[in-house]
Amino acid sequence: MIDTMFIGLSLSSILLLVALGLAITYGAMGVINMAHGEMVMLGAYTAVLSRIWLDANIVMAIPIAFVVTAIVGLVIERVIVRRLYGRLLDTLLATWGVAILIQQAIRLEFGLSFFGIHVEGLGPGLQNVPVPAVLQGTFHLAGVEINTYRAFIIVVTAALAAVTWFLLQRTSIGMQVRAIIRNPKMAAACGVDVARVNALTFAFGSGLAGIAGVMMSGFKTVFPDMGTPMVVDGFLVVVVGGVGSLLGSVLSAGLLGEINSVVAALKNDTIARAVIFGVVILIIVVKPKGLFSFRGR
Amino acid sequence: MASRQRYDFLLYGLFVAAILLAPLMLDEFWLNRIAKYLVFGMLGVAVALSWGYAGILNLGQGLFFGAGAYMLAMSLKLASPTSLQQGSDTPVPDFMLWNAEPGALTQLCCINKGSFIWLPFQSQWFGVAMGIVLPVVIATITGLIVFRNRISGVFVSIITLALVLLVRLLVIDAQPLTNGFNGLTDLAWLTIGAFQSDPYSRATYYLVAIALSLVLVGARLLVSTRAGLILQATRDDETRARYLGLDVPSYQIFFFVVSAAICGFAGMLYVMVSEFASPTFMDLSFSITMVVWAAVGGRSSILGACVGAILINMIEAKVSETKALVEVWKAVVGLIFVLVVLYLPRGLGGFAHDLLDRWRAPATEAASDEGLVAESRDALAERG
Repeated sequence: MIDTMFIGLSLSSILLLVALGLAITYGAMGVINMAHGEMVMLGAYTAVLSRIWLDANIVMAIPIAFVVTAIVGLVIERVIVRRLYGRLLDTLLATWGVAILIQQAIRLEFGLSFFGIHVEGLGPGLQNVPVPAVLQGTFHLAGVEINTYRAFIIVVTAALAAVTWFLLQRTSIGMQVRAIIRNPKMAAACGVDVARVNALTFAFGSGLAGIAGVMMSGFKTVFPDMGTPMVVDGFLVVVVGGVGSLLGSVLSAGLLGEINSVVAALKNDTIARAVIFGVVILIIVVKPKGLFSFRGR
Repeated sequence: MASRQRYDFLLYGLFVAAILLAPLMLDEFWLNRIAKYLVFGMLGVAVALSWGYAGILNLGQGLFFGAGAYMLAMSLKLASPTSLQQGSDTPVPDFMLWNAEPGALTQLCCINKGSFIWLPFQSQWFGVAMGIVLPVVIATITGLIVFRNRISGVFVSIITLALVLLVRLLVIDAQPLTNGFNGLTDLAWLTIGAFQSDPYSRATYYLVAIALSLVLVGARLLVSTRAGLILQATRDDETRARYLGLDVPSYQIFFFVVSAAICGFAGMLYVMVSEFASPTFMDLSFSITMVVWAAVGGRSSILGACVGAILINMIEAKVSETKALVEVWKAVVGLIFVLVVLYLPRGLGGFAHDLLDRWRAPATEAASDEGLVAESRDALAERG
């Protein structure tokens, strides 16, 4: 049972990393970013490419992926999302288009495949990333056998969640983000540069998703479509946790991750995902504002 | 308003004439393809009804499409030679035999635990009826829960999305009953009297084309009834509609169910022209793709959404003939989508309406007033 719970915790960690970015962008900016899953995918591909071209292992790929996906996120915000503030469902549709574009960019190797140039690590095929020897295998803690890589995921997530918490609660820009989450117009009236803060928030959220992608590349196959289920899961976490509530996202990521791994252990993975969807529907119907929320949207 | 409606019906008439005359210049291969796209056009109508007119962005239309498709496909599977020639008096789907436990009785009643639910599908008409009934029942229950609880906006989208993915997983997991990922293939043709739904026949094409024409005109008439107007009022300002004393949820549920029934019907037609049913009908991407078609064609125009679906698929079919362009085309669709949302929020249909209004505006005073009404209504629609 304890190892099942532990697997659940590592699933929760990945969910949380994906959901944190969504929670902030959706909560603060009212943007449903369907391309968020593609940030996970880009992060995973960054891990693949940095191994091939920079000979960097998965740990070194983390900062690179953060920077790459944050920049991509910034560009998406500047070029597209910026024009759609206040049109919630339109952001969903436009970013779905962006998601397709990013997937195809990877599949077509940024268009280079037309000129007969093949970049190793890109293209429509499957990729995988080896985990460095230090993170392989298991260790014993208080009599329980623990998978080192899963423990690594949990530690990194905890650290990033702490950093996010610190940024939001203890810095001036974090205070501005919180003000925008509560009431964007009032925040603007008080002199917060909403456009700038939104852009930075979007980039930071994308960066976190990128790191989630690096983590995933260590235990899952990397391919261009891998992001779509992630964005769905991320949204379920955000909605269950309550829009604009970081703590809510943390708790609901924990809840959904654990349910997933327990049901998967009892029945199978397919049923586990089905149960998750069922639970989420129930929660939305019973508590549309989410389990832990300041306000609904 | 009257003259605007006249233009509308002229356009509808042109469209119906076009799809009914298409067989004169196309061969069977293309007719079959076009028939598929007409089915997608019907999905566009369903999306326009629920999204454009009711303001309900249902990201789970694939559920109703899939339900309709599976119900008919189950009947057609039992009628297929692959089910009849399994050494038993009653038909048994071939995949059930492949998965059967040794010694299991090769009867539909008890070859595996749930196989008895296939029994009524031995009657083809049961399958046909269920193809509408099941989507309607699911939509009614969902609608009652969602709209009576005043869940709105993006939460409806998330619930419908979670629901379609949930059912998709259940269908895949129930491998002994549904053939899982592989879906139902090797189906028989639907037989109605002397008519057989040979997917490559003109008769089947006409069946689909006439069905689409009826659905299209029916939907157009429906939105100009009082119920349709109330629904649009709800979409534009739900709270105000409530204060006017209207029973908003009833109207929302009604249109949600109509939209689901159209999807179920489309699912059945699709099974006839493509001869399979599979869980991919309930993929997230398919449900979103339907919305894309409607958005490009014009979400607030039923004909626009329908034409959008057909056009995108026809261009795709043409482009896909060149292998190198298949992947590029997907990227182009993504790009078109972004551009349409950014620059043509009401799609090609809305764009055409604007042109029409501009062109007619100087003609008479009354016409320009109408344009104003239309514009302010559209402005409201965009805000919603």
